[in-house]
Amino acid sequence: MITLSHVSKWYQSFQVLKDCSAEVAKGEVVVVCGPSGSGKSTLIKCVNGLEPFQEGSITVAGVGVGDRKTDLPKLRARIGMVFQHFELFPHLTVMRNLVLAQVKVLGRGSRESEERGMKLLDRVGLREHAGKYPGQLSGGQQQRVAIARALAMDPIAMLFDEPTSALDPEMINEVLDVMVALARDGMTMMVVTHEMGFARKVAHRVVFMDEGRIVEDAPTADFFQKPRSDRAQIFLSKILQH
Amino acid sequence: MFANFDFEVILRSLPYLFYDGMTFTLTLTALATLGGIVLGTLLALMRLSGLPPLSLPAAGYVNLMRSVPLVLMIFWFYFLVPYIGQWVTGAARPIQVGAFVSSLVTFTLFEAAYFCEIMRAGIQSIPRGQVAAAQALGMNYVQTMGYIVLPQAFRNMLPVLLTQTIILFQDTSLVYVLSITDFLGAASKVAQRDGRLVEMYLFAALVYFIISFFASLLVRRLQSRVAIIR
Repeated sequence: MITLSHVSKWYQSFQVLKDCSAEVAKGEVVVVCGPSGSGKSTLIKCVNGLEPFQEGSITVAGVGVGDRKTDLPKLRARIGMVFQHFELFPHLTVMRNLVLAQVKVLGRGSRESEERGMKLLDRVGLREHAGKYPGQLSGGQQQRVAIARALAMDPIAMLFDEPTSALDPEMINEVLDVMVALARDGMTMMVVTHEMGFARKVAHRVVFMDEGRIVEDAPTADFFQKPRSDRAQIFLSKILQH
Repeated sequence: MFANFDFEVILRSLPYLFYDGMTFTLTLTALATLGGIVLGTLLALMRLSGLPPLSLPAAGYVNLMRSVPLVLMIFWFYFLVPYIGQWVTGAARPIQVGAFVSSLVTFTLFEAAYFCEIMRAGIQSIPRGQVAAAQALGMNYVQTMGYIVLPQAFRNMLPVLLTQTIILFQDTSLVYVLSITDFLGAASKVAQRDGRLVEMYLFAALVYFIISFFASLLVRRLQSRVAIIR
């Protein structure tokens, strides 16, 4: 579904991504982790072309992300993305947030879009908040709306860029629960996160990054039991201590 | 002190002052604001486009407009617009556009430079993540700007835009150089005719003050109304 091969990216002379190759198969959940500044967020933003890259190639469902001929908006409409800071549109109600792209990008009727939106709000447990503005919701609620907004586009895959990093601890679980349910439903997911519990529970594979490189790419059980690289071991020991 | 003054003149000329004069002033203000915001927003988008063929002319235009006195522009355009009209339409003689159209064009073009800078600040105040989120949903540039960035920028900047409109309202009095009957022009004409300069100019100042003052109050009230809930 998502194939990254030998992706490299530079900010001027600084190389943020170094020869990254990875794959996410259909229905697979892949967690990308690593210390901050390791390039994991940059990597996931390259997948839907929010960040350009200079070398290598990324294809999603057979479409080359970096190709000049690719209609990026059209491709992005098929890939859902959830951001660290939610990025709901603050001037629109929750329902308008869910409906806007369905109508304007997919060309769906507004009636149908609202029904779809309501269904998804129900799914993330926020049905009664449809008429509110994002600013009236808690962080966890906002992030669940953001997930619903992405799902409203009927994506073939979902990208999560540190979806719980900006949340208060007590709100993390409500978001993770939604993500776990999504994973169990067979959604193809690429998730940048520090939530190792989530990784253990639903990830098929874990990709570990450090200093712009993919250091380890292993099945979840292997990664937690016997990480091969020293850096992954150190990272895990630090993050799992408590 | 006011013994020699005849304030009756104000009463007598009220219909003329407001029906002829103020109507002109307000129409000019409203239309130039509308035109200026539309043109200014386009200029702001050009400046922020990151494409030199677009951003450089826009920057040049804004800087030029902001460094020329408004009176000079009004004068200039009055004599220039007929020739531009002639050049565009290929007519045999200069197109007479009249003082109103001429001043409307001037104020629109002039104010666009200021509205451009306001809208540019407004657009830049929208977090990058909002653009990313819109793009991630498959929106193209026009949709991202039209549905996400500009509506937020516009709301954030509404108080500043309206304050600029109040300044514009006062600046329209400069059309006196074309001897147009705007509010001040009307007052001025009555003043000259009846020899009641002090009374009329005092009254005109008072009217400008009252309107501007209450408009400012209204802007402040509006500010909290349209603010985005955060």
